[in-house]
Amino acid sequence: MATYDSLFSALGLKEWCAEGKEDGPMSMADLLAKAKGDNAEPESLWDFPFPSMDSLNDSCAAFPQSRELTKGLEQGFLAVKDNLSLVLDPLTQPLSWALDGALYGMLTTPWWIIIPIMLVIVFLVTKSWKLVLFVGASICLLAFIDYYEYAMQTLAIIFVCAFLCVLLGVPIGIAMSRSNTMQRLTIPVLDMLQTLPPFVYLIPLIFLFSVTESKLYGIAIILYAIVPVVRLTNLGIRLVDKDVIEAADAFGMTPSQKLFKVQIPLALPNIMAGVNQTIMMSLAMVVIASLVSAPGLGVLVLRGIRNLELGVGLVSGLGIVILAVILDRVTKASLARINASQNQ
Amino acid sequence: MANEIKISIKNLYKIFGPTPDVALEYVKRGMNKADLLDQQNHVLGLRDINVDILDGKITVIMGLSGSGKSTLIRHLNRLIEPTAGEVRLDGEDVLDLDEEQLRQLRREQMSMVFQKFALLPHKTVLENAGMALNIRGSTVADFEGEAVKWLARVGLEGNENQYPHQLSGGMQQRVGIARALVSNSPVMLMDEAFSALDPLIRSDMQDLLLELQGELQKTIVFITHDLDEALKLSDHLVILKDGEVVQQGDPQDILLNPNDPYIVAFINDINRARVLRVRSIMNPDVESDTDYAGDISEKDNLETVLSRSGGDTDLIFRVIRNGEAIGSLSMKDLTRALVPTDASTTNSASKE
Repeated sequence: MATYDSLFSALGLKEWCAEGKEDGPMSMADLLAKAKGDNAEPESLWDFPFPSMDSLNDSCAAFPQSRELTKGLEQGFLAVKDNLSLVLDPLTQPLSWALDGALYGMLTTPWWIIIPIMLVIVFLVTKSWKLVLFVGASICLLAFIDYYEYAMQTLAIIFVCAFLCVLLGVPIGIAMSRSNTMQRLTIPVLDMLQTLPPFVYLIPLIFLFSVTESKLYGIAIILYAIVPVVRLTNLGIRLVDKDVIEAADAFGMTPSQKLFKVQIPLALPNIMAGVNQTIMMSLAMVVIASLVSAPGLGVLVLRGIRNLELGVGLVSGLGIVILAVILDRVTKASLARINASQNQ
Repeated sequence: MANEIKISIKNLYKIFGPTPDVALEYVKRGMNKADLLDQQNHVLGLRDINVDILDGKITVIMGLSGSGKSTLIRHLNRLIEPTAGEVRLDGEDVLDLDEEQLRQLRREQMSMVFQKFALLPHKTVLENAGMALNIRGSTVADFEGEAVKWLARVGLEGNENQYPHQLSGGMQQRVGIARALVSNSPVMLMDEAFSALDPLIRSDMQDLLLELQGELQKTIVFITHDLDEALKLSDHLVILKDGEVVQQGDPQDILLNPNDPYIVAFINDINRARVLRVRSIMNPDVESDTDYAGDISEKDNLETVLSRSGGDTDLIFRVIRNGEAIGSLSMKDLTRALVPTDASTTNSASKE
């Protein structure tokens, strides 16, 4: 006899309830209740239970328990999984190739080629010798303590993922800035991607793709890191001075001329701020993604946690900080250069 | 060139709001701006505007903020779509153009100068000046000659490779004017082009515009809230108030015969001696026996004549146009013309 028995009898559902069979596995709570032997109705109003799925199930065996909700979700996902991966697998295959290629390239090219190339790139985008010196010293420090290979793996993954984020995110941001409907539809998705704990969207990905494939962590990183570049592209284009847009219209620019000659150049500082954020978020995610076989410094952090190797964990954590500082300073310096060239 | 109508605006209405067509009916039945906002929640932008803009002349549209003058100028190149009415350019209704034709019109027929300059901050002065040609597909090498020529004409020689933020406001607006000139369009729309500049520079820019207009004879539509500027520049003056034309015509005429207390309030503050010209108050009879104190040009303003006379009110001057005597001006008439307009309204009121 449970609390809601009277409800079901009042609704005339007694027979339907009786059809429910008690053949499912017993939950821990049931077992405990049985062991204690108190299956009675609560004595006072104080213990009156909320009409949740489980307490309704107590009164009516045919009513589903809450664990069947999660189980149903899982089974539903497993049912569509094969078809879904049939579509997603070939679509995302290039991501695997790009990641594997970048990792292979970064690791097989000798260090005395990679480091100078990186320094040249740093100089080209920032035009600052001070930063070149700082980046050089940081990488040499990491190499000196034999973390070069891990750091390069992490960097390779970040470069590929951030590049793809920009490639996908900027057009999405532009589309959002042009249509309010598109903006209304996209913002909830972006909010969800940004607030969903990163571990949570690793779970369906593990079901969809094999853990040995690099696209698994690639997708996770891209989903997590694409948000700022989309948001700031949209914002940047929407913030472009209305007077300049009007002038562009008055002189007869076509929509695409307006986009490429006015809106994107004027939104560039905001877009670059988005790229900076995207790179920083990829770095954060690449550590978490080591749970699903992403190589790099994250693996060492994970080893530090798993085996309680305090030193390894601390040093690799420090390595990640160094990479973060390098990436942040370099992108900020190039952002500052863009800002200076169009000081309004 | 002989003063043909270049742009003709007929029965133009603009109402802002969710259902302007419904509100239009109320406006046509005579509802005023305040009632329309109260009862229909629509804003009356323009009501029944009829203006003819003459070829090769400067038409100034003047009004205070909220009078609809900026709205009106944006109808000429359809940056704003009207609720009802016609805008004809060389006889062709601008409102019938499709998107591509409209773009052609904006590229080749009308250029625009903006109050806040609206230059591209990431482009050099040269590239900004050549913007119109660049939009039509020219490269920097193609438009460089033309752009450098007009930049030099507006006084920006040697600034070609600077960026807009490196220039002062006045210089930025010179770039804006050069940009409009490089596009080589017959019509120039100037939306409060000099309002953001300080008075001295504004006066310089007005002189520059008049000088350019002397050479180029473009059809210029100029928006301003400044009556002195309007009187200085205009061949044809249109005064707007609350979206309606209060009075339009020759600026000297408006000054001497204002037909609305609103305009009287406006012109009370101006220096009549500087603005009024000999031709608008002279006596067209030339008598050979009169003893003229000297010759004055019909274009002289009264201030010049006053200083010539040295304050002697008995003198009579002969008025000359192109070396020919066309009339006379006595200092008594001149003094009468300087009487503030309050008096002239009482005159016209007593006539009615």
